[in-house]
Amino acid sequence: MPEATSKPGSPPAATLNAALAGSPGAGGAPLQALRERARVAYESLELPYWRRSGFWQTSFADLDMAALTPVTQAPDATAPAIVAGQENAGVLLQRDASVVHVSLNPELAARGVIFCSLEEAAAEHREVFERYYLRRLPLDRHKLEAASAAFWSGGAFLYVPPGLEIAEPFQIVYEITAPGSAQYAHTLAIADRTSAIRVREYDLAASGFEGDALHAGQFELYLEDGARCRLAHLTDWGPGNIADVSTAVVEVGRDAYCHWLPALLGGRLIRHHDELVVAGPGGDMAFRGILFSQAQEHLDVFAVDVHETGPSGGDVHWRGAATGESRASFEGLIKIDPGAQQSHTYLQFHSMMLSDAAKLDAIPSVLVSADDVSASHGGTVGELDEHLIFYMQTRCMSRPDAVRVIVEGFFEPLIVQLDDPPLEQQIRERIGAKLAAAADDIERYALAR
Amino acid sequence: MASQLEIRNLHVRTEDREILRGVDLLVRHGELHALMGPNGSGKSTLANTIMGHPAYEVTAGEILFEGQNIVEMEPHERAKLGLFLAFQYPVAVPGVSIANFLRLAINAKREEPIKMKEFAEQLTRAVELLDVDRSFTSRHLNDGFSGGEKKRAEVLQMAMLRPEIAVLDETDSGLDIDALRTVAEGVGKLHAEQGLGVLIITHYQRILDYVRPEFVHVMMDGRIVLEGGNEVVERLEREGYDRIREEVASRA
Repeated sequence: MPEATSKPGSPPAATLNAALAGSPGAGGAPLQALRERARVAYESLELPYWRRSGFWQTSFADLDMAALTPVTQAPDATAPAIVAGQENAGVLLQRDASVVHVSLNPELAARGVIFCSLEEAAAEHREVFERYYLRRLPLDRHKLEAASAAFWSGGAFLYVPPGLEIAEPFQIVYEITAPGSAQYAHTLAIADRTSAIRVREYDLAASGFEGDALHAGQFELYLEDGARCRLAHLTDWGPGNIADVSTAVVEVGRDAYCHWLPALLGGRLIRHHDELVVAGPGGDMAFRGILFSQAQEHLDVFAVDVHETGPSGGDVHWRGAATGESRASFEGLIKIDPGAQQSHTYLQFHSMMLSDAAKLDAIPSVLVSADDVSASHGGTVGELDEHLIFYMQTRCMSRPDAVRVIVEGFFEPLIVQLDDPPLEQQIRERIGAKLAAAADDIERYALAR
Repeated sequence: MASQLEIRNLHVRTEDREILRGVDLLVRHGELHALMGPNGSGKSTLANTIMGHPAYEVTAGEILFEGQNIVEMEPHERAKLGLFLAFQYPVAVPGVSIANFLRLAINAKREEPIKMKEFAEQLTRAVELLDVDRSFTSRHLNDGFSGGEKKRAEVLQMAMLRPEIAVLDETDSGLDIDALRTVAEGVGKLHAEQGLGVLIITHYQRILDYVRPEFVHVMMDGRIVLEGGNEVVERLEREGYDRIREEVASRA
């Protein structure tokens, strides 16, 4: 068994398998036992770091855990602004350590949909909770994963009964408002056989947030046979000193389908491990993602496309841009397990550099243990195209304006695929806001070339 | 004073090579000019230099627009003054629809953003002029376009941006005859209706069957060597560039 943190020069396959290792599913153990197991792991593990290429790493070693504590908040009747004015199936807001707002369309409740805090689900819907909770997520690969599994509070739980098709989204918002807040978040969602849902999770700081905080999140979504889900994560912690270490896993069952787009649009220090597992024959997925770092931000993603059985389909397409002195890393992995014959998948990552001082790594890998499959990867590293900039200048746009339009266009192919106008608009607006915030950096870069 | 583009004794070099060696040219608002010449004579260099392409260095001479020397101006500043270049090889703008691009360009040119209704009306007129389907404008600009679609998109932008003077760099290259006619007729209408001043750069006389220039200039080796009216086009058709080259050489 390789060490949990690999040394430079260790075989890539061993490194990747180590990253994917950890105690497997909970196997229906009771919550208290799992929390205790995680707590013990938390006590013994070190704060994690991940080596990136060259001379940088994604490190949480400097976190002062003693200074970060869960902060309880009072209930709030107002829905969060980010989802206001939309047609929603349900809305759940966790502010710091507390779920402060939950609403569910009563018609859906009458048809058997459960949407509540995870705390409530553990108490009131114990049978379904224990069947799925930590079924696929490990709880002890590093100290902060263990912390989340040991100390989560609030949390979100969604269960959609068989055959139910719901057009409106379930919206889950994790918000950090208090300096010194440690937010241990956990979302568990289940779409039962042949149901169809939309789920969005937002990870956001209160506007104007300053100070230190930690978000250690776990997210798990299980799509049973024939279920379909359009899932999106939007993470933007803003300029506050928030560290985010999160793991998300989506399990796609037999003939099920998931379209998943995590958008990482800002944060001082983020490490996300996002894993999409095709676990049943006929399962298919589209795994999209957006990374955009500016100023001093540091975004690090490990995106994994696992095929446990075939026939199965996959299509992983991420795009990233970096400006200012930011760091961004995309590590993408296709893993096809023994026996997953007739799996077909493709991984692509396209990046765009908007600064000489930024760093953006793309590390694609393919681990294939079956012989009748297609799995490959590709990508592009883009710098600003001077021909394109000149073209746009002759259409009255200044250089900085031209660069902004180019960057917006760069992400657009993924945004339009969301097939979800309010969410598309939110992502476009946030990209626009980031571009505005990075305007000086971009102008300097655009003019210096 | 009607707007005009005046080029005086223009010398341009790129990568240590002098390409333009003293060009003089005057295009007034409402006039239709053709600049002809063999490959490598400096026609595209002139077009790009007029718009301020950074790869071309003006070593001597002036480019005056409405009496103001624009040599030191940024390309977008020249465009905002009312100059336009239709590219020989328009580049793709991935992820940006034609309609969105046009709106951005128009708003960059104006003080106040254009009203949606006004924009929609202008766009409707422009797509009719270029004989394209309205759905064309929701495609990403030049992304996967055929040669004809690219050139139509260039003239569509010209129609929407309403420049004073437009330079069309080999707009006829790579077009089949139907596309050529549509594009040429579109240019002709903008000239007739908006008083657009046009400098058509071309190697061939083909496009000039549809847009008849009042002034014809022939460029060779970085200089304008012959000027006249439409009879110059007929002469070129008859005699070719070589004959003119010999004549110029014997004059020297």
